Amino acid sequence: MNVSKRLYSYYLIWPALLIYSIFFVLPALIGLFYSFTDWRLDREAIKFIGWDNFERIFTDRTLLLAMKNTTIFAIVTVLGKNLLGIALAVGLNMKLKSKNLLRAIFYSPSILSVLVISIVFTPMLRSDGTINRIFEAVGLPSLSQAWLTNPALVIWTVAFVSIWQHTGFQMAIYLAGLQSISKEYYEAATIDGAGSWRSFRSITIPLLLPAININLMLTLIGGLKVFSEVFVLTGGGPGNASQVVGTIILRSFGEGSWGLGTAVNTLLFAAVTIIAIPLLIFMRRKEVSE
Amino acid sequence: MSKQMKKIATGLLAGIMTLTLAACGSDNSGKGNAAATDNGGGNSGGSSGKKVTIELAISKSSQDSAFVAQDVLDEFEQKTNIKVNLQLLPAEQTATVLQTKLAVDEVPDLIQYNLASATTDLNLERNFEILDNEPWVSRLLNKDVLSAYDHVYSFHYSQDTGMQGVVYNKDIFKDLGLEIPKNYEEFLAVCEKIKASGITPVFMPFKDNWAANIWPAAAFADWAAKNEPSLFEDINAGRKKWSDVPEFATFLEQQYEVYKKGYTNTDILSDSYDMAVGKFLNKETAMMFMGDWLIVNVAEKDPNVHLGLFAIPSSEDANLGASPLGGQLFIPKKAKHMDEAKKFLEFLATKEVAQKMVDSQGSVSNFSDVTTPKLPEYKQEIVDQYITPKKTTLTTDAYMIVDRSELYRLLQDEFAGGLDAKGVLKAWDEKFSQLMKDKGVEGF
Repeated sequence: MNVSKRLYSYYLIWPALLIYSIFFVLPALIGLFYSFTDWRLDREAIKFIGWDNFERIFTDRTLLLAMKNTTIFAIVTVLGKNLLGIALAVGLNMKLKSKNLLRAIFYSPSILSVLVISIVFTPMLRSDGTINRIFEAVGLPSLSQAWLTNPALVIWTVAFVSIWQHTGFQMAIYLAGLQSISKEYYEAATIDGAGSWRSFRSITIPLLLPAININLMLTLIGGLKVFSEVFVLTGGGPGNASQVVGTIILRSFGEGSWGLGTAVNTLLFAAVTIIAIPLLIFMRRKEVSE
Repeated sequence: MSKQMKKIATGLLAGIMTLTLAACGSDNSGKGNAAATDNGGGNSGGSSGKKVTIELAISKSSQDSAFVAQDVLDEFEQKTNIKVNLQLLPAEQTATVLQTKLAVDEVPDLIQYNLASATTDLNLERNFEILDNEPWVSRLLNKDVLSAYDHVYSFHYSQDTGMQGVVYNKDIFKDLGLEIPKNYEEFLAVCEKIKASGITPVFMPFKDNWAANIWPAAAFADWAAKNEPSLFEDINAGRKKWSDVPEFATFLEQQYEVYKKGYTNTDILSDSYDMAVGKFLNKETAMMFMGDWLIVNVAEKDPNVHLGLFAIPSSEDANLGASPLGGQLFIPKKAKHMDEAKKFLEFLATKEVAQKMVDSQGSVSNFSDVTTPKLPEYKQEIVDQYITPKKTTLTTDAYMIVDRSELYRLLQDEFAGGLDAKGVLKAWDEKFSQLMKDKGVEGF
């Protein structure tokens, strides 16, 4: 193939690159600029203030709490969604009569709007709600909690609701991964005398790594960027107890501190990049080819 | 398979990262769709050849406002050859759209917005025309409800928008032989009697954290008006702090005590304002710290429920809180048709037009020569007991020129157990001074 023919294929990316630059790179750069200013409603009065916004992020108690909550939410949901997702996928990859029905059931919450989830869960999680009633009915009244209004508990509750909603989606990706693993590996392993745990550890996990990588990335980035679940379930409350970085950005814009809001957003972007990219590289090294 | 997965992963990651920063680009939303156009010099081809169109921006949720009734607009156009074009803004984005319009100088000639929010959201002093010298101002009965920073900034024909206090069920009070409490001790005694009858004395819907502000907003303002009239001026200049007034902490403790003593619904942080109408319709609750709009909402569902309003009993013989909220009209400083916009206000303020609007809305006139029509019972009582004897005080919302949502969250936190009354005021002092600093107010 000559040079011009080889380059031809690259011309095709120009339209996409242009749109990407206008709608992603440019706003990102403008955002980066504004995060170093005291940007607010008075356009004329805008000043360059250096690192002030970032300094404030790390000294404001609510912002620090929001970062702590975001971290808790991300870790809990990454673990929950992936462990449960793998377990469900392995279970539903077996020869079960009702497996199609069950797959549909487990997947269905992830197609619901988070608003619907909020309408369903808010009354269930009240102190006199269904969940506490169930605890009382089975003789465990000590487990009754103010799930959404106890400041110490609320972020964990929101994480639980998120796990409930999205695990089905993770399960679907794991199922796709599982189904692409050739049966021959398992047959060979059985002949070699491996039990089911050994097969799972030595065949399933390594060959499922690409799916694990995708799911880890998706759940981690989703966890760090969490907004809608917190917004609809608690609005960041009670008080500021369940604020996360996403709701803080909204709060800053609402308060008219647009520069600060942009700085928090820039920081979130940096955090996601710094955590996600090395993890992605690390995980991809672990992958094996069939 | 592995390569395919990698491709999918890369694609997904790129998509997600794009979304991460999408918020950065939202600052200019609305810039392009500003509908305000300069039709000033446009020749309509009519006989006068001077037809002017002015733009009035209004939230979609206010489109039944008396200011913009079609017959009013038609009459104005006939008399003056000035056409009023309505720009309907999506209700949930009204503030954002207006902020953007002001920021990029795409300003309408008139805006309907509420005064208290305009001071915080729209930078009232900077962006809006002072109306002190307009001909209708001298006929105003109550200038305060249209004023901020000692100037008239807005227009309205009525003075009764949003009275705040304790909404109560008159029938329950009558059945139990209760009187309207005049101080905090009497209020607690009333609560005790209602509770004994098996009805929840007070409904607190503090999932909506703004609802926790009704008590303090009236109590603080009442105390300041009677004891230290310059207090809010000093607070806004950074000379005083919210926590410098020990009574403020007392008022917050009072509201908390009502809950602690078991006079409220149990799950106050899970219950929201939209449940309130039902609670009153079912006679599950006898009182609520709220505005008279709740009475209107309940009456719409069942006119046979008799509700009334009395002042927050935070101190002896307190005044009723007057909310500065409501839809007033403002003229932006950069309006392209300043004179025509002012003419529109003059027209609305004429005796005939104002009378028509007051009659149709059943509201209390703010013009000396316009008669207030027969009012609904609850409103007549408010007028007789509070407005006529001048026993109302603008709530703190009128004086706070920053976003108040953090205060509401702090008030909610008091009930979640995170802060005590003093802690609330201290935390609000910090946030308040930061927000004032952000606004570039001197003294912070």
